[in-house]
Amino acid sequence: MDMSSSETALACGTCQAALLPGDRYCERCGTRVGPALDEETRAGGGCTACAAPAEAIDADWYCSRCGVRQRSPQDRQEIDLVVAAGVSDRGRVRRRNEDALHLQAVGESGVAVVVCDGISSSLSAEEAARRGADAAGAVLAEALLGEQAVLAEATRNAVGTAQQAVLEVPWTSRSDRDVPSCTLVSAVCRDGELVIGWVGDSRAYWIAGDDSRQLTVDHSWAQEQVAAGLLSVQEAGADKRAHSITRWLGQDAPDDEPQIVTLRPTDPGRLVLCSDGLWNYMPDAAGIAAQLDALPPGTAAITAAHSLADAALAAGGHDNITVAVLNVTPPGRDDQ
Amino acid sequence: MTTFTAEAYQNEYLPAGGEEVNAVVTVTASDAAPGATSAQAAEIIIVDVSGSMGSPRAKLTAATRATAVAIDCIRDGVMFGVIAGNDTARAVYPQEVRLVAASPQTREDAKQAVAELKATGGTAIGRWLALADELFAATPEAIRHAILLTDGRDEHETPVELEAVLADCEGSFQCDCRGVGTDWEVQELRRIATTLLGTVDIVAEPADLQDDFQAMIERAMGKATGDVSLRLWTPQGASVAFLKQVAPTIEDLTARSSAVDALTADYPTGAWGDESRDYHLCVHVQPRAVGEEMLAGRVGLMVGGETVSQALIRALWTDDEQLSTRINREVAHYTGQAELADAIQEGLEARKQGDEHTATFKLGRAVQLAAAAGNSDTMKLLAGVVDVQEAHTGTVRLKPRVQEADEMALDTRSTKTVRVKKPGS
Repeated sequence: MDMSSSETALACGTCQAALLPGDRYCERCGTRVGPALDEETRAGGGCTACAAPAEAIDADWYCSRCGVRQRSPQDRQEIDLVVAAGVSDRGRVRRRNEDALHLQAVGESGVAVVVCDGISSSLSAEEAARRGADAAGAVLAEALLGEQAVLAEATRNAVGTAQQAVLEVPWTSRSDRDVPSCTLVSAVCRDGELVIGWVGDSRAYWIAGDDSRQLTVDHSWAQEQVAAGLLSVQEAGADKRAHSITRWLGQDAPDDEPQIVTLRPTDPGRLVLCSDGLWNYMPDAAGIAAQLDALPPGTAAITAAHSLADAALAAGGHDNITVAVLNVTPPGRDDQ
Repeated sequence: MTTFTAEAYQNEYLPAGGEEVNAVVTVTASDAAPGATSAQAAEIIIVDVSGSMGSPRAKLTAATRATAVAIDCIRDGVMFGVIAGNDTARAVYPQEVRLVAASPQTREDAKQAVAELKATGGTAIGRWLALADELFAATPEAIRHAILLTDGRDEHETPVELEAVLADCEGSFQCDCRGVGTDWEVQELRRIATTLLGTVDIVAEPADLQDDFQAMIERAMGKATGDVSLRLWTPQGASVAFLKQVAPTIEDLTARSSAVDALTADYPTGAWGDESRDYHLCVHVQPRAVGEEMLAGRVGLMVGGETVSQALIRALWTDDEQLSTRINREVAHYTGQAELADAIQEGLEARKQGDEHTATFKLGRAVQLAAAAGNSDTMKLLAGVVDVQEAHTGTVRLKPRVQEADEMALDTRSTKTVRVKKPGS
């Protein structure tokens, strides 16, 4: 369907807001309304390396003439909603981007963000992360449309729905690999209240100068060793099991109840959500704060997200990198 | 119904600027009902009846007995024939230019005809093969296989004549070659067997011919799918450095390609039974930037005009040396096996030329490689040619006196490889 030539009034399928011809996203709720990313990229032309026609690109994104793999829509995802923005990048080593980012603005001040990291030893990790992030994001956006929603309750529902979505990822039995699974970290924000939920080792940080801190506690082997007082942070991090996670979403998940923290900042700051592809290079809140403090005051969220993702890419980009940044201004203050 | 699978083993990471992509592709054919093959087959046994086969007389006797055993192994319905070769070629059974369907009666008649063979005349192998090609022409749909037995050099025709016949026969039938005694030329038979996608071996003792013939025929009867090719796609700007079969034997297929289009070529692999073969592919590609990925090759199997299974060979450029310097186990193993075959052939050649220094060095290296990879059969053969002092350092001394048959056995079997030991197996 050609949206731009349609004469009939256009409306968003999610929130019914009016759309302008050519819109790719609903201005109100952020739902994608244009053609699917996939079709858009394929229609957009042929091989970026040898200019072979679009038909030459095969189902695995390889050019059937020069062999060069094309960037798939998942390889680099960018969403800029001004108040919040995010980047998800395949990185420089992994063959697929098995992270997924969902970012939606709802109403005057509502924002919903979800970052999922597909577990790379699992089948269809990419699909698990994508479905998990979109399912949770849709539940959070829906909650923000209702005036009285309790955000913590919405977060629990969102993670439960994401778990169902991951369970529905098709997979074929292969004994040597895990079933589809992913981590999840979400943030839902309205009227100065921030509710963070997570399962696994994707993280959230509050970045505001000296008040910067990590909001989440990893569900990982390393973190459990440290929390139990068995190992120091350094000792645990050096162990080869350091990155083994103890909680996740998927068929064999221990449970799907997210851990939740709520924040009501009194001063402006930034909420940063990320996968371990970013925090491996900047584990401490201070490191992320230093990276962002180097930017000029009033820097747009998308620029801040680029800055963090680029730093991780420059440091090696060993894993998929996903980062979302929310500029937070407490109600009654407009100095951010 | 045979199903084929292709699986690639490689380190896909290349350093910045890296252009050489190596991969081992394992192709496995498995038959749902082995032994119950209904494939059409045609079989010809070619027996050398030159004068030398009569001295000692045991040679011809053993050859005719072995042929009789082979005839008994031919399944009912298989089209077959026997050719006697000296400086000409003669259809011994049936005594006209055609093949007959195997049955209890025809097998008996054939054995009768073979028993009456006399040794006389010279050796012109090209003419024997030309007659086989003519006989096979009537059964283009069948899986076509021949056994060729000789005891001497191809003396009664020119190498050019032999080459011309080989060119005609290539792709028309497969031929396993056997040399009996020690008066034949390893290089010559290897050339014939390689061109005709067959094996070559020495049968030093005529008495051992029966078992060998029986094994060859049984293997031929087990082939269920004929004319299988590897189809290799490589990207524009890439070149195939080599494509070798590396297990069960080393056969360089590089020069055998026939172009399908500008980026795709087919390499013949002959007929397949229930078996598995490994191929080592080396492709040179045009490097891309760090972080980019390229499909460096796609290996498919062409069976009856259709691609039945595919393996993808990838290249991914990285500046992480830990990733790019890792050598894939399978690739390393077969690189060693290929070096082993070369070291044996070069060492034996140097020994023949009287260059003891090179011979000792090459055969010592062969001992070292064979010991490391666990080629126990090759080790036994090497021990017939050198005294091994320390296997793991390749310290050897050439034996002053070597049985010619031992040397020829080592040469003919130098291309036999062992497979990678899989972890936990």
